[in-house]
Amino acid sequence: MKLVVTTQERDLAASLRELLTTHCPPELVRSLREPGTDRVPEKLWAALVAAEVLALPFVEEVGGAGGTLDDLAVLYAEAGRALCPTVVLSTLHLGLAVAELGDAEQQARVLGPLCRGELRGAVSLASPYDAADVRPALRAERLGDGSLAVSGRLDHVLDADLADRVLATATLTSYGEPDRLVALLLDPRAAGATLTALPTSDGDRLQQLDLDHVIVPAADVLAGPGGDGLAADRVRRISLLVRALQCVDMAGGAEAVLERTVAHVRGREQFGRPIASFQAAQHLVADIHIAVQGARLAARSAVFWHGRGRPAVRETAIAVVHAATAYRRATLDAHQLHGGMGYVVETDLHLWSERARLLGALGGGPDVAGRWLEEEVGRG
Amino acid sequence: MQDICRTDIVRIRRTKGDPPVDFELDSDQRAWREEVRAFLREHVTPALRAELAEHDLEKRDGELMAFRRKIGEKGWFGLNWPVEHGGLGLGPVHQHLLVSEFEYWGVPGPDLTVTSVAPMIMRHGTERNKAEFLPPIARGEMVCAVGYSEPGAGTDLASLRTRAVLEGTMEDGAWVINGAKTWNSGAQRSTHEWLCVRTDPDAPKHRGISVIIVPIDHPGVTIRPLTAWSGYRTNEAFFDDVRVPATNLVGEVNQGWRYITGALDLERGALTNAGDLRRAVDDLLELARSPRRDGSVPAHDPTVRHRLALLDADVEVATLMGFEAASLLGEGVIPSIEVSVEKVFTSELRQRIAEVALDLLGPDGLLGHRTSAAPDDGRFERLYRIAPLLRFGAGTNEVLRDVIAQRGHAMPSYGR
Repeated sequence: MKLVVTTQERDLAASLRELLTTHCPPELVRSLREPGTDRVPEKLWAALVAAEVLALPFVEEVGGAGGTLDDLAVLYAEAGRALCPTVVLSTLHLGLAVAELGDAEQQARVLGPLCRGELRGAVSLASPYDAADVRPALRAERLGDGSLAVSGRLDHVLDADLADRVLATATLTSYGEPDRLVALLLDPRAAGATLTALPTSDGDRLQQLDLDHVIVPAADVLAGPGGDGLAADRVRRISLLVRALQCVDMAGGAEAVLERTVAHVRGREQFGRPIASFQAAQHLVADIHIAVQGARLAARSAVFWHGRGRPAVRETAIAVVHAATAYRRATLDAHQLHGGMGYVVETDLHLWSERARLLGALGGGPDVAGRWLEEEVGRG
Repeated sequence: MQDICRTDIVRIRRTKGDPPVDFELDSDQRAWREEVRAFLREHVTPALRAELAEHDLEKRDGELMAFRRKIGEKGWFGLNWPVEHGGLGLGPVHQHLLVSEFEYWGVPGPDLTVTSVAPMIMRHGTERNKAEFLPPIARGEMVCAVGYSEPGAGTDLASLRTRAVLEGTMEDGAWVINGAKTWNSGAQRSTHEWLCVRTDPDAPKHRGISVIIVPIDHPGVTIRPLTAWSGYRTNEAFFDDVRVPATNLVGEVNQGWRYITGALDLERGALTNAGDLRRAVDDLLELARSPRRDGSVPAHDPTVRHRLALLDADVEVATLMGFEAASLLGEGVIPSIEVSVEKVFTSELRQRIAEVALDLLGPDGLLGHRTSAAPDDGRFERLYRIAPLLRFGAGTNEVLRDVIAQRGHAMPSYGR
């Protein structure tokens, strides 16, 4: 147990921060959220590929950089600070799921291009309302040639419109056999698939994906060892890992908001003195600081325990409770401390506020995560 | 194209080897915690529990004193001190683990004398201070009451007025002390005062302060008990022409403010361990599953379960905050900001735990501490009364929020 940032981690964070400062300024983030615009950040994407960021957590055999989940956490903290477009992270989520659930051939086929930046992804591993609820929304039937016919609706899929493949789970029913849980590499533009944007004030990030008898080739079905289906626990583990990483994103974003807000109140004067000199303002800042410190520790702890092979339900729940609460509080109190100056969009503060809202809600916020903990409470 | 070349320069470097931040106890730390637990299993006897329940550490010689001697025999009062001062040379993480376990068991372990007074003597004391005071502290024989606040100087500690005047020289003279201290907790069972006094009344208020160690049995020292809402005994202490050797002054004259603030940072670190909070929530979870007097079980109510789950999450975060502060201390940093954060967070969490307990127990939660009708012997009824102390004590949370903003974020002082 040693909760101190090492020089190596500091170096990695500094590299990523420099890269994102250069290639992911707030103007880029703002431009990508306009309705109807292409939300793919081409130049940023190229820079991330060149720096091997998309390859970071994957093994070298498939073209990855061989980093750890702790390294990935450093990336998410920086991505959260800089509001790195979610398509980058959604693509990593697809990769993490394939690395965990796919066979060797599938890993090589998907992760290679993904690391090279040639494949964009999205995932739908669990209920968008509850990341621990991995009951599939889709139904699949096996056809004569081994391919599957898939039907159903996926809701609130982040970045599905930008993805070449959406990894989603389905219940595979076969006559006379028990139902199986499988994961599918879906082409969101395949025959029978319909994407519908669910617009938000932050742009069209969330998509509804309707599938009507969509044919998925056998090679794109992740069915576990011997084709007997995936254990729900393995799917849940990936879903919760994604949630834990999003908590690191939230803690990083909250920290950036804290810094921006401090800079504002130190610079802005009212009644002939800086707003920062008023105790009421200082105490709001202190409360954000306290919340951020707790969120950062809880989120990093959750990712750490995922990396050590724990299911980490408890740690992820604690991270969600703290990170989602802290980010929301940081952004809303930041609006209060900025006043009108932070309410206008040219200040960019709302970009973080939107991310706080999105990541806090998608997959379940503090109320839902509290229920995961309650199950533990009830167990004692 | 230029952009792409630029990223080559910042091509990410993966970290190899140790995890960047390690949240798992290593084998040495686990073995240490086991050793501490084995000690507690052996020495926390029913007789000690009975004495602790009986009163607040009032007896000068009883079960508690015997328990303290056993801790002293293990060398644990000086566990994080350097070996040359009679310590074991173990790090702050070891100390943190030990204090967490003691708090979880609800027994007093190393106190402020060990955790904040002794390190300040080591860091700033004269060679004579070290030789004279550190060995008896390590043996558990010298216990200090901390004489900071005065009737007219509370949160604004630097305006303290207790005076010390030097008669003779610093080598063989004496300090003559007059004044009064309040919230002088533990004086009834202490051997010495770690006393903050004004030695230069003409200097700016932070620059005329010194620390002098005063034997409590010296003529002219009077202790008067004050009883708090929690039942906790604290004291007023009066100093009336008290004479102590000039060499009892710690370190250098008029440098005391630095020593006090350093000791207060350490004190906050020691006071804000989450061990007692973990225990409180564990006990509360158990209580929530037990029937109340009307037979209803609080945990059957989803609202209650949800509130308990959130407390549980908060205690885990408080525990991580404690480990982070201890880890930083182990790197040689005094983590003033982290410890201020931890102190505010844990003290307000303690209050929330007591509030949830009252809500879930209903009127059963009013039944008095150490009465047979009370759930869990009235533990949570009493916690409700204990919790306010740590919220305003050891630096009020309002001042600590100022510290976080001003020292942590360079926001301007407003003249405090």
